[in-house]
Amino acid sequence: MSLLYDSFVLLRINHSLSLDLSFCGSGNLGKMFFHIVLERNMQLHPRHFGRDLREKLVSKLMKDVEGTCSGRHGFVVAITGIENVGKGLIRDGTGFVTFPVKYQCVVFRPFKGEILEAVVTMVNKMGFFAEAGPVQIFVSNHLIPDDMEFQSGDMPNYTTSDGSVKIQKDSEVRLKIIGTRVDATEIFCIGTIKDDFLGVISDPGTTS
Amino acid sequence: MKVPFPPRQSQSQSQRRRIRNRRQCCAVLCLIPFLFFPSLRFYYNSSSTKGNRHKIMSDKGGKGGKSALKSPAYKGKDDNSAKLKGRKVQFDSEDLYDDKFDTNENGKSNGKDDTSFSKGGKGDKGGKAGKGSAKKEPPPLLLKVEQELPENAKCLMDCEAAQILQGIQEHMVLLSKDPTIKIPSSFDRALQYANRGNHYTNPQSARLVLESLKDQGLSDGEMCVIANTAVESVGEAFGLMPSLKAKKSKVKEPLRSALTELEKLKNVAESTKKAIVLD
Repeated sequence: MSLLYDSFVLLRINHSLSLDLSFCGSGNLGKMFFHIVLERNMQLHPRHFGRDLREKLVSKLMKDVEGTCSGRHGFVVAITGIENVGKGLIRDGTGFVTFPVKYQCVVFRPFKGEILEAVVTMVNKMGFFAEAGPVQIFVSNHLIPDDMEFQSGDMPNYTTSDGSVKIQKDSEVRLKIIGTRVDATEIFCIGTIKDDFLGVISDPGTTS
Repeated sequence: MKVPFPPRQSQSQSQRRRIRNRRQCCAVLCLIPFLFFPSLRFYYNSSSTKGNRHKIMSDKGGKGGKSALKSPAYKGKDDNSAKLKGRKVQFDSEDLYDDKFDTNENGKSNGKDDTSFSKGGKGDKGGKAGKGSAKKEPPPLLLKVEQELPENAKCLMDCEAAQILQGIQEHMVLLSKDPTIKIPSSFDRALQYANRGNHYTNPQSARLVLESLKDQGLSDGEMCVIANTAVESVGEAFGLMPSLKAKKSKVKEPLRSALTELEKLKNVAESTKKAIVLD
């Protein structure tokens, strides 16, 4: 099984090298996905030393980093490549060796003022929760247009007075992020649909 | 035997009374400008401390103290008009500090308070507001993306991210057979989100179309928002991005032609979905 993972690691690295990432832009203004280079110090037990040292290091990096979340970079979705593995330093007293590793990864991070499309997961009288990737967004009823009112029932929803527009579970909405909060494992945002060109994109009924 | 002149003690008492009255008048006159122009309180801190020192001396000392008191009182009287004039001239320049120094009730404070207040003011506004230049303006709301992300960070459109993550997912199918290896849930959600935002058949072509707008002053973030939200009209783009409105005259026509090009690159599924909605 470890061989399977190691071969996957090699495949991943080779795949990322073959990807033409030169088409990526060089700006960084308010966007969800970013491709960045990060650095991390990886500690390896001497039992892993050998000819597969590099693969072991990379697989450990993937297990440690992928799926984690930080306030600065957001969610680390996937590692796409290894730029550089520095020289290992033996730690006094333990025998573990620390390797500085530079790696490329795709991160997922929301910013204030960003416009994005999310799927509604829950509706209540305080507002509704939506999901955009791994990020949870809450839209308060104060930030929902005044002509939309909460309707309780089996499928709680927000509906306009004429019934033409409805926000319920599984609806797709376009919203703007006005605030973010980062925990150890997730990012939570506050959004609004009160501005122009924001609101329901599609109802779950039309898509099915 | 008649005493032709009043006794010396009574004369000194009356003199003392006169001096006291004069001092009181001077004090009242000195206080009047401070009532109308509170900022002056601060400006005259150094002179007030000197006055206080003299008062302390007078309390402790005897004649020496009195004589010391006489001179500043006279000086004060003589200089009052000059000082008032001086105050008029100088408080205009100090007007800017009115807001900060209103809370300073301690007239004995020295120049140290100047610096502490000015530092506090800077601290309140934040480092980016400029060093004391815009004191009354609210701090500008700046997007600190450049500070928060490394310099080598590159924006990705949803369609580009979907292409990358799709390739990685194909390799992950091999791993799913191993129960010890856990694929993070954030990966699946991110891929699902990226696929939903993937409106174009060829991300590279979409990027090339949008790159042409870079010459018109569009930033990468604005280009990505246009691509991800599949903006259909120029009005919609300006509505979603207020920053684009500032460049309206320059960007309008190139943006219109770019949106027409992007419409051709859209997925078949997107165009049929649009047709259903219109019907």
